[in-house]
Amino acid sequence: MLFLRAKSKSKASPPLAYYGQYASGRVVSMEKESASIVYLRLRKQVGLPAGAPIRLRDVARVLAEPELEGKLLELELDRPEQRDGNLIVIDTLRVISAIQSKFPGLRIELLGEPHVLVEMIKAEKKPSLLLFALVWLLLFFGAALTIMNFHADVSMPEVQVRIVEMITGEKDEHPYLFQGAYSVGIGFGMIVFFNHLFKKKWNEEPTPLEVEMFLYQENLNQYVVAEELKKMHRADSSAKRN
Amino acid sequence: MSPLAAGLAIFLGLAGGVAIGSGVIALFIVLDMIPRLAQVTNSYDKVHWYEGAMIAGAVIGTVADFWDWKVAGPWLITGIVGLFNGVFVGMLAAALTEVLNVLPILAKRLHMQRYLFGFLLAMVFGKMAGSLFEWFIYRP
Repeated sequence: MLFLRAKSKSKASPPLAYYGQYASGRVVSMEKESASIVYLRLRKQVGLPAGAPIRLRDVARVLAEPELEGKLLELELDRPEQRDGNLIVIDTLRVISAIQSKFPGLRIELLGEPHVLVEMIKAEKKPSLLLFALVWLLLFFGAALTIMNFHADVSMPEVQVRIVEMITGEKDEHPYLFQGAYSVGIGFGMIVFFNHLFKKKWNEEPTPLEVEMFLYQENLNQYVVAEELKKMHRADSSAKRN
Repeated sequence: MSPLAAGLAIFLGLAGGVAIGSGVIALFIVLDMIPRLAQVTNSYDKVHWYEGAMIAGAVIGTVADFWDWKVAGPWLITGIVGLFNGVFVGMLAAALTEVLNVLPILAKRLHMQRYLFGFLLAMVFGKMAGSLFEWFIYRP
């Protein structure tokens, strides 16, 4: 919705006056003369200790004239309160207005992300070992249960007897060697899949679990940003109506 | 068997075979097992061989099962085949776990990302223990 709004606005106004929230690289200018230019690249996601004010240096990389750059980096964007929750979205409009109120007449060039997700991290308390042990046991017995379910599901015993019969020519109702090797093989196969044994030795590619963790985090971030933008939009429009 | 019935039987057999065969391959493709193996062994150029191995295995397994093929091999071979079977099922299980996103969600929810490897081992040992228990204690 915000996106649409920004678009329609930009159509009506002359090209240089974009309030280009999504217009990475476009020029936001308040002055016609050649002002000093500030290049800004917002980060995607940052973690900050809870309670600290959010400064520009925390959320963006800045390129400007040296003496200006130092001042810009210390610019305070927001002082999150406890009630704001631990996830805060700061979009480019907010950054621009903060900069312009302190340093009017700067030309700001935006690169990179249209918004940054700030996670306020409370001092991490050490997760309890008891909880870890509980989860470990949960996974352990859960995995044991599911593999037995699987075996029952696919009639594994009958198939194993059949395979052993094919190999040795004799029917053995308890092919212990086969079954023992099979059981060890399950563990080995899982470790191969998750690549933990050979990570260092063979290549530097991430393991599927690492990729999966990353994608999960990305999806979470996307969702949070979308929700926060929706909230902002709602707050904006109700403020305008009143 | 009349020619008509024979033709029908051939058609039905082919239809069933195509459906099952493509289903099996689709499952392995979805679970990304071949790419994973190629990545671990650094042999992307040989993935066609791996496909061939799966197809050959599926066909030979079917034929051997239906026609009751047998060889009088040594007992030790069962251990080797069993190990291969186990590794394969282990990979299957791991791939399924991964598709279902169990570990990332669990670790994130409980703020225990640092123990991720421990959780992975829990599942690995759980599978092994469950399997050993079933074959050696539950059905001796």
